[in-house]
Amino acid sequence: MPIHFASFRARILVFVAGLLVVVQAAGLLAVQAANLREARRSIDEALELTAAAFQRSLEERRKILVEKALLLSADFAFKTAMATGDHDTILSALENHRARVGADLMLLLELSGGVIADTRPAALAGAASELGPLLARAREDEFGEASSIRSLGGAAYQLVTVPLFMPEPRAWIVIGFALGDTFARELQQQTRTQVSLLLRRPDGWDAFCSTLAEPEREALEARLSGSWREAPELATLVLDGQEYVAWTAPLDDEGGGLVAVLQRSLEEALASSRRLRAQLLAIFVFGLLLSLVGSALVATRVTRPVADLARAARRIRAGNYAEPVAVEQRDEIGALAASFNDMMKGLTERDQVRDMLGRVVAPEIARELLSKEIELGGEERTVTVFFCDVRGFTGIAEREPPERLVRILNTVLTGASAAIEGRGGVVEEYMGDGVKALFGAPLEHEDDARRAVLAALDLVAALPQLDREVAALGGSPLAIGIGINTARVVAGRMGSLSRLKYTVVGDGVNLASRLEGLTSRYGVGIVVSESTVASCPDLAFRELDRVRVKGRSASVAIFEPLGVAERLDPERREQARRHKAALERFRARDWDAAEAGFAALARHEPGSRLYALYRERMAILRAEPPGPDWDGTVSYDEK
Amino acid sequence: MQALGGTLGAVVRNAEGEPVKGAVVYALPLDAQGAPVPIEQPAVIDQVDKEFVPNLTVVQVGTRVQFPNRDQIRHHVYSFSEAKSFEIPLYEGIPAEPIVFDKPGPVVLGCNIHDWMRAYVFVVETPYFTLTGEDGRASLELPAGSYAVRVWHPELEGDPARLGQRASIEEEGDAEVRFAIEQARVWRPRRAPSPGAGSYR
Repeated sequence: MPIHFASFRARILVFVAGLLVVVQAAGLLAVQAANLREARRSIDEALELTAAAFQRSLEERRKILVEKALLLSADFAFKTAMATGDHDTILSALENHRARVGADLMLLLELSGGVIADTRPAALAGAASELGPLLARAREDEFGEASSIRSLGGAAYQLVTVPLFMPEPRAWIVIGFALGDTFARELQQQTRTQVSLLLRRPDGWDAFCSTLAEPEREALEARLSGSWREAPELATLVLDGQEYVAWTAPLDDEGGGLVAVLQRSLEEALASSRRLRAQLLAIFVFGLLLSLVGSALVATRVTRPVADLARAARRIRAGNYAEPVAVEQRDEIGALAASFNDMMKGLTERDQVRDMLGRVVAPEIARELLSKEIELGGEERTVTVFFCDVRGFTGIAEREPPERLVRILNTVLTGASAAIEGRGGVVEEYMGDGVKALFGAPLEHEDDARRAVLAALDLVAALPQLDREVAALGGSPLAIGIGINTARVVAGRMGSLSRLKYTVVGDGVNLASRLEGLTSRYGVGIVVSESTVASCPDLAFRELDRVRVKGRSASVAIFEPLGVAERLDPERREQARRHKAALERFRARDWDAAEAGFAALARHEPGSRLYALYRERMAILRAEPPGPDWDGTVSYDEK
Repeated sequence: MQALGGTLGAVVRNAEGEPVKGAVVYALPLDAQGAPVPIEQPAVIDQVDKEFVPNLTVVQVGTRVQFPNRDQIRHHVYSFSEAKSFEIPLYEGIPAEPIVFDKPGPVVLGCNIHDWMRAYVFVVETPYFTLTGEDGRASLELPAGSYAVRVWHPELEGDPARLGQRASIEEEGDAEVRFAIEQARVWRPRRAPSPGAGSYR
């Protein structure tokens, strides 16, 4: 199961601590194993040396004993005493010599083995046959010497025998030194090893001499019970809870149940390694603490700037780019913070650009421009193009000082933009005193044509208010013209890759512009093409004319919007109906009826340029009747 | 005398059948001839370079033996043997009185201050004795008659009388006896190094 850490810091801490623990634990275990191995090895080695020393020590003692025995054998006074053949004299001399060399027992035996004299108390003196094996070996020796370690009368002795030369060998001198605690202690001092000698008795082993404390001595006796070793061996021995490595060897030359045990405490040998382990443990704990603190510091150094960055990112989401992240590190984190700050700067700049773009172009266009890859190209779509112009602006420009001119212009353009945007249109561009707006691109609505017409009506309705504002600036009332046409056009990014704009192009765009130009001719504020009218079933229009504009072969019917049909007042509706009838008469070449109709209309609207226009036109047509293909269409060759 | 006797040949071998060199072979006349005339000529056992020379001397009972000390140091010749127990305490040169070996039997000589020095004097009650050679053989020119022929050797195990054999020497006739003796190991003390010599000899 994967472990998840709440924080980077915890992860670093756990990782560092874990790594350290694993490495150190492995090291500790290895050292511990090596120490144990080394301790055992060194004990084994020491025990082998000790065993050798033990054997050497016995050999040295043997040599010394032989020397002492030889001294006695060569003693002339003793020979003289021996020559007397008097037992008491001989025994007395023997006792004297025993004391002289510090031996524990001394015997004089016939060459055949019979006892001549024995310094031991009669009660302790065993059978002379006990010494048979010793004498047998002496007889085989070049110099008639032999030694052995064995028990005699329940005590262990190192025995030597040499011939008594008078000057020919005439008897055996046997001297014996008891092996006891003193012997063990001497060996212990020489070898720093626990020394025990054990003797097999009918009821078990008896550690009759040992440097061990009583409980361990008893444990050793119990441990040996029953077993008898033919050859020296090394073994691990657990006595009284203490672990020892022990060297056990039969001591008895004659197979009589005498064993030497040398042992070294494993605990003591491991003492130095225990100290080492404790030191290693202390170093380990210290190192662990140090690395925990160190990694915590490092982790904090990493995580604090990361937290700073996270806070900064939240600020950015909240829209606050102003405050850069303060990170002064020169490492990767520092680089990240620097990049982050750069990014913030970039975002700030982009926002500024977007803001500016939104002012230069309509926000919708700005979005359209920013939303996609920067590439040229467009798509064909149905768009209602809206052109608006301040009529007679050239004259205003001449009249007014430039500063005021700009302010007047801005007032008008602001009003126009408000009307357009109020109906969901998009101002594509300002062209001097004019506005080009789009309904249906880049934003599309179901009723784009209607929206455009309503926007135009709104603007016309807002003119009195605009006029007041312009008057406040010191300007005179304005007249505006609006042309609207709905057509399939190409909309998209146009220009060059380095500088492009969102625009629409096509015949329908030109027509809208032309229609705008026709407003003054017909004395109306708004001219709408028939295609737009077709898309606005609920609006009322007055047909103005059928025209063929410059550059276009097809004729187009043009209309003036009157407003929402249902809300039109009856008088205007009646006027529109009469106008339509008059226009029909005109087109039917019924000049009189048309004249009467237009005259009636003109009476109702005295200043109407439209009716005057038709009456003028009919005056001409009466004089020069049109050809049979005349359908009332007027061609305009000028722009 | 020889014209009236013959030659007694003897062969001495050990238990392994090997010839034994330096064994004393002596013949005790069984015909009562009276005590043999003691030999006026004394025997001499020198002490040279801390050794007795010769190592084995056979003498007739009653022979006087001189122990001239040829070394620059003193010697202390002694014996605890049954046949002759005596002691010549530390002396130089020639002792004033020779030692008279007046009982038959082996006498082992030693020097009290040089443990390894050892020599044997074998005292016999007959003028007829000799030593075997390398081949273990010995021969005695004996007058005709009966003899108890015996053998002795320093390493001999047991009593020489036990090995006695009878032999008769007829006029103009030879005889031969064979002995198989058992030799025992005889241990000797190590010879001490000479002062200043620094090594064992």
